[in-house]
Amino acid sequence: MASPTPVVLLIEDEPQMRRFLGATLRAHDCQVVEAATAREGLAQAAGRNPDIILLDLGLPDRDGLEVTQEIRRSSRTPIIVISARGQERDKVTALDLGADDYLTKPFGVPELLARVRVALRHSAPAGTNPTDPVFQSGDLRVDLVRRRVFRNGEEAHLTPTEYKLLTSMVRHAGRVVTHRQLLQEVWGANYQEQSHYLRVYMAQLRHKLERDPTRPKLFLTEPGVGYRLHEGES
Amino acid sequence: MRRIAEYGWAIGIIAVTTGLALVLRPYLQTIDIAMVFLLAVVVVAFRFRRGPAVVASLLSIAAFDFGFVPPYYTFDVRNPDFFLTFAVMLGVALAMSQLTGTIREQAEESNEREQLAAALYALSQDLAGATTLQDQLGLITRHISTAGKGEVLVLLDDGDPDPTDHAPELGMFDSVAVRVAAQWSRDHGEPAGWGTAHCAGAEALVVPLRSPSRVGGIIVLRPEKPDGVLSPRRRRLIEALADQAALALERGQLAERHEQARMEVESERLRTALLSSLSHDLRTPLSSIEGAASSLLEGSDRLSDETRREMAQTILEESRRMTRLVANLLDMVRVETGALAVHKEWQPLEEALGVALVRLEERLAGHPVETRLAPDLPLVPVDDLLVEQVFINLLENASRHTPVGTPITISAWPEGRSVIVEVADQGAGIPAGEEEAVFRKFHRSTCADRTSPAGGSGLGLTICRGIVGAHGGRIWLERNGAKGAAFRFTLPLDGPPPATVPDEALD
Repeated sequence: MASPTPVVLLIEDEPQMRRFLGATLRAHDCQVVEAATAREGLAQAAGRNPDIILLDLGLPDRDGLEVTQEIRRSSRTPIIVISARGQERDKVTALDLGADDYLTKPFGVPELLARVRVALRHSAPAGTNPTDPVFQSGDLRVDLVRRRVFRNGEEAHLTPTEYKLLTSMVRHAGRVVTHRQLLQEVWGANYQEQSHYLRVYMAQLRHKLERDPTRPKLFLTEPGVGYRLHEGES
Repeated sequence: MRRIAEYGWAIGIIAVTTGLALVLRPYLQTIDIAMVFLLAVVVVAFRFRRGPAVVASLLSIAAFDFGFVPPYYTFDVRNPDFFLTFAVMLGVALAMSQLTGTIREQAEESNEREQLAAALYALSQDLAGATTLQDQLGLITRHISTAGKGEVLVLLDDGDPDPTDHAPELGMFDSVAVRVAAQWSRDHGEPAGWGTAHCAGAEALVVPLRSPSRVGGIIVLRPEKPDGVLSPRRRRLIEALADQAALALERGQLAERHEQARMEVESERLRTALLSSLSHDLRTPLSSIEGAASSLLEGSDRLSDETRREMAQTILEESRRMTRLVANLLDMVRVETGALAVHKEWQPLEEALGVALVRLEERLAGHPVETRLAPDLPLVPVDDLLVEQVFINLLENASRHTPVGTPITISAWPEGRSVIVEVADQGAGIPAGEEEAVFRKFHRSTCADRTSPAGGSGLGLTICRGIVGAHGGRIWLERNGAKGAAFRFTLPLDGPPPATVPDEALD
């Protein structure tokens, strides 16, 4: 983990889920603070100053989306929301409200740890983790300074929009980015509903940069939510 | 009026005949003159009723006697033979009018029968095409209104003692007399009200909807001309139409009840299937999970690392299987209850396919998968989450029912205002006769091994059909048999395609 023992606030009402998540995180050198209700969670978020918050969207006492919003009002602590399949709209809303990532129940330990790791890294204070001038993942190498892109050592030629989209993805590498976020970053605020622009350019990027564009390994689709650029193990 | 006119005609014809006979008198024998009169009488008898015919024959006799039987211009008859002539003339007139009267009556009767049959045929023809009770009632109202020349209201029996009780729509039909007539008609199964023997004072005619088994309601007809008379013919027509309507309504209600019963049986069958599916498909993985977990818990010190790993692996695999089953059941419920919300967005099909292929990577490891997307494949308006599910279900299905090593091919191409997608395998195909059945709920291929861990829930293809249907498309088994099964579905390119993405020059 990024810092010696990051503090993880776990807001989850199901005791079994809390047990599994708590045990797993402790086993991976995290200090875990547990909360079973939204009220308790908000209090802990304010009092314990956690490094990361895992928030179940289906809490009994308050809507998880509200909790997200409330935490964001006072803190930039990364939030990973946990929700069930079929709640894609809620996930998107949570992400647009400021959550950093999400996990869909049921999920495995590798997924959980990967999300936590990415979220912690992205939240590291500026200066300690300067954006690497070169992004590398699998076959892909992006030289952000020289604005050159290589696949398997061979230079790939991107259009300006494709490159802009790629750098947006690189900036959020490892994290999910919603359609809306990407549309806004690449095309501007007026294009937030033109999701087909994004999808078409994503397909073009895949054709230029993926080994097999029908089985993407780098530019992953998060169904109903957005995209995630796979981060190579470093 | 018509009657008087007929007498006028009769008198006129005889007058003309007399005139003609006077002109011809010098050239003809007396007996021939009688023939001319006889002809006139026959014409009148044939053309009109008995009355005019008799008048015509009497006038003929008088005119013939007066003007043509010597001595002329007296009613004296010298030759008694002429009495026979008179009698023949009268007899012929009577016989002719009788005969033509009968023929006319028969013609009128058959004409009425024809009209009745035509009206009944038209009604039954229309009713055959009506699918809802509302349609049926509308048609019955219209037909009887036309035939009965008045405004019509159909009141179905709802079990209430007073047939008009729950009929605020009675409106202008409403009056005490009509209500009484309606009650009487319903209770006795006979017409009542205007133009009948019962409650004749009512402003409307009430005809029961009789079928052999019951009185299913009443028809109220308020005539356009309330002071007119109800001819027996019109009444017969109305009653016949009412009987026909009653039969059709009863048939419709019986069919409805039958359909309801069938649905109940079907839903009972489904419940049973669901229960057996749940108990088997959920219990099996649960047993493995419980067994493996308790074994890990109880005997962890006696188990080798490898065994422990295997147990954990079992728990993982079995819980994934349960997750899939539960997801399928939930999808099924959404498809079934119409809760399937389709959020269409224009997008390349490749993306949804990509998600399915990545997600199924492990399960498809044993099958080379080839994708053949047409280069000119347009964007399609689909809900990505749902279309992914279709790909996942079709691909899982293909991998489950084909031997390891056989390829699976996914193709897509535009055709007209649709995109056609095909998922083809090279397995043994689907048993003949099951081409449609595979789409049914809880259908499991007869050759599939239910107990194998790869066994499906029997819901995948049903869900596919529901999802494709919700997109306005169609899914079917295109090819089958020795070369394997090929499922095809269409995705219509509905609505205006989105503004094209601007082309860019390379850097």
